[in-house]
Amino acid sequence: MNKAFQGEHLLPGHLGQFFVILSFGGALLSTLSYYFATTNKDALDSSWQRMGRWGFYINSLSIIGVCASLFYIVYNHYFEYHYAWSYTSKELPVYYLVSGFWNGQEGGFLLWTFWQAVLGNILIWKAKSWEKPVMTVVAFSQLWLASMLLGIEIFGAKIGSSPFLLLRKAIEAPIFSQPNYLSFIKDGQGMNPLLQNYWMVIHPPTLFLGLASVVVPFAYAFAGLWRKRYKEWITPAIPYALFACMILGTGVVMGSLWAYESLNFGGFWAWDPVENASIFPWLILVGGLHVLIVYKNSGHSYFTAVFLVLASFIMVLYQSFLARSGILGETSVHSFVDNGLFWHLVAFILVFLGLAIYLVVTRYKEMPISKKDEETYSREFWMFVGAIFLGLSCFHLVLVTSIPVWNRIFGTKVAPPTDLVSHYNIIQASFAMVITVLTGFSQFLKYKKTDTTKFFISTLVYLAVALLITVPVVYFSGLYKLHFVFQLVMLGCVYTLLVNGKILIDALKGKFKLAGSAVAHVGFGLMLAGAIIAAGTRGLVSVNESGTVAIAGFDKSAQGNKISGDSHENMMIYKNEPVKMGPYVVTYAGDSTSLPDHFYKIDYRRYDDKGKMIESFELKPKVQLSDKMGMTSSPDTKHYLTHDLYTHITALPQPKEPASADGQAAAAHGDENDDKNYDPPISHEIAIGDTIRFREGYMVLRALKKETAIQNIPITDSDVAIGAKIDIVSNNKNYSAEPVYMIRGKNVFDFSRTVDEAGLKLRLTKIIPEKNKVEITVYQQPENKKPWVVMRALDFPFINLLWSGTLIMILGFLLSIFRRNKEIKPV
Amino acid sequence: MKKSSIFGLIVIGIAIAVIVVIYAGASTYGSFTDARKTESVLRVVGHLDKQKELYYDAAKDANYFSFYVKDSKGEECKVVFMGTEPQDFQKSEQIVLTGQMVGSEFHASEILMKCPSKYTKDKLDVTDVRAKSASI
Repeated sequence: MNKAFQGEHLLPGHLGQFFVILSFGGALLSTLSYYFATTNKDALDSSWQRMGRWGFYINSLSIIGVCASLFYIVYNHYFEYHYAWSYTSKELPVYYLVSGFWNGQEGGFLLWTFWQAVLGNILIWKAKSWEKPVMTVVAFSQLWLASMLLGIEIFGAKIGSSPFLLLRKAIEAPIFSQPNYLSFIKDGQGMNPLLQNYWMVIHPPTLFLGLASVVVPFAYAFAGLWRKRYKEWITPAIPYALFACMILGTGVVMGSLWAYESLNFGGFWAWDPVENASIFPWLILVGGLHVLIVYKNSGHSYFTAVFLVLASFIMVLYQSFLARSGILGETSVHSFVDNGLFWHLVAFILVFLGLAIYLVVTRYKEMPISKKDEETYSREFWMFVGAIFLGLSCFHLVLVTSIPVWNRIFGTKVAPPTDLVSHYNIIQASFAMVITVLTGFSQFLKYKKTDTTKFFISTLVYLAVALLITVPVVYFSGLYKLHFVFQLVMLGCVYTLLVNGKILIDALKGKFKLAGSAVAHVGFGLMLAGAIIAAGTRGLVSVNESGTVAIAGFDKSAQGNKISGDSHENMMIYKNEPVKMGPYVVTYAGDSTSLPDHFYKIDYRRYDDKGKMIESFELKPKVQLSDKMGMTSSPDTKHYLTHDLYTHITALPQPKEPASADGQAAAAHGDENDDKNYDPPISHEIAIGDTIRFREGYMVLRALKKETAIQNIPITDSDVAIGAKIDIVSNNKNYSAEPVYMIRGKNVFDFSRTVDEAGLKLRLTKIIPEKNKVEITVYQQPENKKPWVVMRALDFPFINLLWSGTLIMILGFLLSIFRRNKEIKPV
Repeated sequence: MKKSSIFGLIVIGIAIAVIVVIYAGASTYGSFTDARKTESVLRVVGHLDKQKELYYDAAKDANYFSFYVKDSKGEECKVVFMGTEPQDFQKSEQIVLTGQMVGSEFHASEILMKCPSKYTKDKLDVTDVRAKSASI
């Protein structure tokens, strides 16, 4: 018997759980009905189909119900639910509550199944004669996704993980034996500060739409083989494949833009296993798309097209397994921890893989595979080669990324290559080079057969021009310092840009049909060129030109090995002390707080040779400090057209707990305590107009004047109070202070003045009338007591090429979708 | 021989080359003892010794961070990292270091942390919850 707990809101959870089960039921009904509708011999009987549709509608509506219930729980902060408690908190604004929705694994599945439901409904509306077999596949995939959310136990085995799990069921703790436990749970865990960013609101939905849409070309290929309509599935599948490539590509680049703009790993791509996994399906499907077009135009490459389209969805399932099963624990910082879904995810892959293999094997003999070889000088042959190279590039990524999987399967303990980033860079650049060159010269080839002389002339002319352009580009961008392969990629990019640019100009003159691919290829070339230049010639701005303090024996030994390559990127700067960094003079000018963010004002100035200031701006990198998450740093970036200046804080002084208490303590216990914060004082005997020098500047005694009031101490006629007006110049900034000397009766007091910004404390300690001088005692803070930050500043040249190239590529995909969509004749 | 067969052979050749390159570049997970025996870079799995001092003094060198790690065999070694303290470092329950021995110190070029707090916070917070109930 369940105990009654006070204050729980069980209704939305029950409702949500009901919808979860209903969505599973709907998907099951839809799958079975569509299956029987497909295999039913009686063409006039549409009852199965109607039932399939109803099943799918039920599934779609229940998913909306699940989303609504979950959102209701999150929005109302019902922390009795594990999901709300884990990923949100009361202070989160509404738009982050929305993103808290897909913060957890269950939310990810929910987003995926939601998009798949949307796509399914479009297919029901549009697919015509393909509806039955295609929807069988889509509904079957819905069934699997719904099962991931079930969270019910059957014979002791937990199936799926429900977002409506109660906190007291998720965690075992004695507190839950009390009926009023909820009154002790005041707030949720909140969202990781790194995720509190507008990208978190738009990146996951885009990425999941991309992943979800890969199922459609897969379903068409599957249906084509199943129903033995071998040739017909190609034409309708192409626009969906284009759409999937476009959205998936956008989602992936959004992720890297997010990383670049607000995470702190100093770049836009880190070759993290989870990142790699997200481009597996993209690479495969882009290859698949090209061979689909090859088959459509020439009748070649049928098997490759089927293989790649089927493999792309398997890759979607595989990347989901990698990200969610916890298997990447030792190699990735992004992966989720296993939620008990490990074997469930494996089964998801194996079932679809098994079905796909079964169909390919049984239908292989009937496939319209051309017996003839392609012509060497034909577009179809080289497009096919390009698709295979995209596949090889993915093959390499899969092999390396899956090292933990191989370890698990074979019981080995192999670690990934030690210099992983350059390993990926060099091998992937080699594939990229081949692919860019292919996207270039295959444009000069025609389907079937091409005039070879003409082909060679135009190819070589363009290659020569590309070479002429690449040489200065490589020289001025600094790419020549890198591995040779990156220069070749640059050549490939320039070449593909030139050739596709020409095609684009032709297209604008009349052959508008060809514009889509030309635009997409131009975008791809720009994107790659931007990525290579920005990542390859990334400049370090935060280099200390005055030389670092060497730790004994460290630098020497470090020079002998490769480790020192990427380090020494951080620099410490004291507040208000300008430091030269690269072309800039950089000053840590202060900080401000707008909780939970702390902003550090970093002032950048640039001077010309004559010392005239030509540029001045301020960057405000941000840091969040919290007990739960530690220090979380986000960069701030100055964007120029041709490069970006990227700055982030990498270390701060230990939070000074005694800081505020210190001030009070000092006041209470007299000045002695406070003096510990300073170097030993130095006394100077000076007259009016004399100068005292100190570490960061100088000060001048301007005047001595008789005071009439000191703070709130009234001064009577019998008192003598003298103030020393002192102007201070510290690090080219002006301050002033007025320490006071007072005689009351037989007692002597002096009132010191501090200038915190300059780290100074001044006292007027003696008046020497015979010499007409006074004694000023200067206390200066030792350097390490002064406020400082450690920062890293990087310069990313031409990174805008990467982003603008992506946009152009998306535009190209869009144009192609419109073109290919027109080619579908409703059947 | 058909052109497609030639191309197939080339593709298989590239695939094998890729596997060989990965195999040749692959490192191993080892211990500090293994690191002492070899000159090459390797990965060591271990955990941070939270009792010992984490040294970072930005005033001396903003790119020098040292700490002590116990490897999976229980051996402890001083580790030097040329950079700043990574985020969540002190919360990590497991650390994977990439680097090599220099004298008696392990110089790490990369630190990968497994943090319990980031994605599954349950474990840490149970103690939270308990503390609250105890104070009633």
